[in-house]
Amino acid sequence: MSDMNPVIRWFHQLGSPPYFDRFAARWAPWGYLLGAVVMAVGMYGALFQVPADYQQGDSFRILYIHVPAAWMSLLVFGLMALYSAIALIWRIKLCEILAMACAPIGAAFTFVTLATGSIWGKPMWGTWWDWDPRLTSQLVLLFLYLGVIGLYHAIDDRRTAARAAGLLALVGVVMLPIIRYSVVWWNSLHQGQTIRVFGESSMDASMMPPLVWMLVGTKLWFAGSLLARARADNLQREAGKDWVRRMAEAGK
Amino acid sequence: MSYREYVIAAYAVFALMLAWDYLAPRFAIARQLRAARRLAARKAAHPTPNKRPTELGR
Repeated sequence: MSDMNPVIRWFHQLGSPPYFDRFAARWAPWGYLLGAVVMAVGMYGALFQVPADYQQGDSFRILYIHVPAAWMSLLVFGLMALYSAIALIWRIKLCEILAMACAPIGAAFTFVTLATGSIWGKPMWGTWWDWDPRLTSQLVLLFLYLGVIGLYHAIDDRRTAARAAGLLALVGVVMLPIIRYSVVWWNSLHQGQTIRVFGESSMDASMMPPLVWMLVGTKLWFAGSLLARARADNLQREAGKDWVRRMAEAGK
Repeated sequence: MSYREYVIAAYAVFALMLAWDYLAPRFAIARQLRAARRLAARKAAHPTPNKRPTELGR
């Protein structure tokens, strides 16, 4: 162990439940705090600094939460599937915990995507909802998240539950390209791709900075939330162990 | 601001989600620690005669 690369050693240590608990307890508040600060900067810019859109008026300000939430809904699902794959192949308990901690956060971001899209759609499209390919596929993603959460809580044994739910997460990955390319493959009411990581965005450069702040802020927030939720699950799985008792008593 | 009520509603949904996402794990952690303290108190009140550990200490 002493000859081991420090990074690899750290990964091994992180797999120890008490070590992970200390790590998550230390870093989760920082994720939340940094995420909240960065998002606050982004929201200030989105609401008070960027000019109103010449066609959509101020309703376009909704996209500063809609787009980051939509990106998170896909990214979190991908990450959940990745953790699930690692957990299924190498039986790493921490990856099971992290995969299952992703599900409620991703579901929340997916709900926000649908809700804010619907709120934007009412004045712009004249309807709260349309069975459009992008909207429908995003709704299916929400159901998949709920399926993963439901399956995880339907089975008493935590490890069996995580494996079953992880398998559903892996199967659900097929939805990610469908959502991503739904506006290209089908005739969609939803607008096409406006913002590109690689290549030129069709959004004016003056409107971009708050969006970048929000994209970064949501990721930092997610890191905090992931650690906090994983810590809660880790404690539940380790209930009755001596280190949990010692820690609980120390925190009296 | 045009469409003000729609903008407020959308940001309110986002703020509520963040509040839930912050509070839910905090409550879950507090619940687990409370349960651990209760279990420790029960064990202290009714100590088992066999003190040998049943698993490897971590």
